[in-house]
Amino acid sequence: MIILFVVLPLVVAGILPLVGKVSRRVLPDVLANATLLVLLAYAAIAGRALIAGGPVVQQLAWLGESVDIRLALDGLSLFMLLAVALVGFAASLFSIDYMEHYGAKANYYALYLVMIAGMNGLILARDLFSVYIFLEVAAIASYALVAFGLAHDELEAAFKYLMLSVVASAFLVGGIAVIFGMTGGLDFAAVGGALRELNAGPVMAVASAFFLLGFGLKAALVPFHAWLPDAHPSAPAPISAVLSGLLIKVSGVYALARIFLNVFGLTPALSTALMGLGVLSMVVAAFLALGQKDMKRMLAYSSISQVGYVVLGIGIGTPLGIAGGLFHLFNHALAKGLLFLSSGSVQQATGTRDLDEMGGLGRRMPLTAATNLVGALSIAGVPPLNGFWSKLLIIVALVQAGHPVYAVIAVLVSVLTLWYYLLIQRKAFFGQLNEKWAAVKEAPFWMTAATVLLAVLCVGIGILFSSTITTWIQPAADVLADGIHAVTGSWGF
Amino acid sequence: MIVQTALLIGVVIFSVLAIVLKDLLKSAIALAVASLLLGIIFFRMNAPYAGVFEISVVAGLITVLFVLTIALTKTDEEVRESRLVNWVFPLVFIAFIVIDALVMKGLLGKVPALASGAESGTFGEVLWRSRTYDLVGQIAVILAGVFSVLALFRKREKND
Repeated sequence: MIILFVVLPLVVAGILPLVGKVSRRVLPDVLANATLLVLLAYAAIAGRALIAGGPVVQQLAWLGESVDIRLALDGLSLFMLLAVALVGFAASLFSIDYMEHYGAKANYYALYLVMIAGMNGLILARDLFSVYIFLEVAAIASYALVAFGLAHDELEAAFKYLMLSVVASAFLVGGIAVIFGMTGGLDFAAVGGALRELNAGPVMAVASAFFLLGFGLKAALVPFHAWLPDAHPSAPAPISAVLSGLLIKVSGVYALARIFLNVFGLTPALSTALMGLGVLSMVVAAFLALGQKDMKRMLAYSSISQVGYVVLGIGIGTPLGIAGGLFHLFNHALAKGLLFLSSGSVQQATGTRDLDEMGGLGRRMPLTAATNLVGALSIAGVPPLNGFWSKLLIIVALVQAGHPVYAVIAVLVSVLTLWYYLLIQRKAFFGQLNEKWAAVKEAPFWMTAATVLLAVLCVGIGILFSSTITTWIQPAADVLADGIHAVTGSWGF
Repeated sequence: MIVQTALLIGVVIFSVLAIVLKDLLKSAIALAVASLLLGIIFFRMNAPYAGVFEISVVAGLITVLFVLTIALTKTDEEVRESRLVNWVFPLVFIAFIVIDALVMKGLLGKVPALASGAESGTFGEVLWRSRTYDLVGQIAVILAGVFSVLALFRKREKND
């Protein structure tokens, strides 16, 4: 019953506002966290057994009559479901204490679960139009969540996000229409099969350009990134963590990789375009991050830069490059989730995000400082943390594929990344304690628990990287490396 | 063909009007007219369901919502718009038309025509049998919309 990944959060979201009338805090907390825990257990424990005999393509029956809900679960989608459940669970754990002062908690969790359902629905979809619908589900919930604080800058950021996101949707619908016009189908397998027989270069180029623009905007690749540094910092911290950690990757990178690699097939021109966009994002966003004074804004620019690494890795198109890209996607989801949550702890304790006002907070918030350091070093790619291995894979893949210049750039950007993360660490946590913060205390229990969970995972995956790669990353990378055959062959058409 | 072209030009003109008109009410009505014309085009192109939805929902229901909302807002506040908009929009619009004229004719020739004919199956069949997963998505979109309204228009508990 893989539809559970979509239906369970939706059903719980539907009853949450009613539950909220009875119990304003405890029941919504328990229900939302339990839902995500169930999804996490399902993906982590039962998932691999499900796809042990190859991808599962499910057609559901409703009251004995078959309906057209056809879902596909393969190595790649299972891997993404795990990432969503893991970071989603950590962020909802963090919300227990953090969302206390926002009010309307039941409503918050309802929107949050709809966003999770949207992401899961997109991951399981095997049809271009379903991808678009679930992308919108996640996006609509995220607009409201960005504005959840209702302050002026939050509403403004949400509006800007909405406007650019609509442009992305328009391009995606345009692309889907072109593909439908050419092939008469929307199903991944049907489209993949039809495109192979059809020799329609120029029309494909138009469709590819539309998709690249649409998903590029969703993934916030430079030069389509303008909305992200406003939207992500303005959202409540757990939402920033999910937006940066998951949403841009599911509705941007995953959808892009699935369609370009598994449905269209990666052509050399597409590969060059993806790698170019990846490197551009990596470099430009890293320099922009350096100049930031706002802690969360710096993290947001860093997300753009790290998504650049992911797209660069996948764009190489070799099995090793794809594995590196996907591994980095996972590691960045964990580490950036962790960093945004820590920044939330700091913001709640001090009431500011301005790095210049902070200082010496490590003495007052030792656990937050330690977990933040783990996340920062992981993203910067310091061994033996998880981020090091994924960056190493990408760089090795670049050298192997004959792109030494990109490899050197990737190393240099990594140094730059370490620089701005140490800047955060030094300005916020090290040094003399600013007198203003003498009364600051460590973050409440659940907030600390969430950051510690993610930090332990960052360290653990760094140490156990080879088994993580064989159990989770390799099956996912195999699907993408398999190209069109992955959907036309094994999904059964 | 002439009727079709006239309808298409009408869609473009009223869409542009919807953007450039300063009066929100007129702009909403221009949008409704544009979508009415689009609905007629759908009918003429053998897509009656799409036509019905376009006219009843987009031209009808959404226009009513727009007009209601405009009626509920205050009119005395002057909104300052950036000067940029005045010349960026026409520029982009003209560039789009030029590119469209140059590229689309060539492209359309290369697109294989789909089997034409009335939409297959009854409406219920299409919705329930062949696009059921989208229906789940639609339910989620509606839930997201409702929760968004609840969240954004809630009474502020402690912030204010």
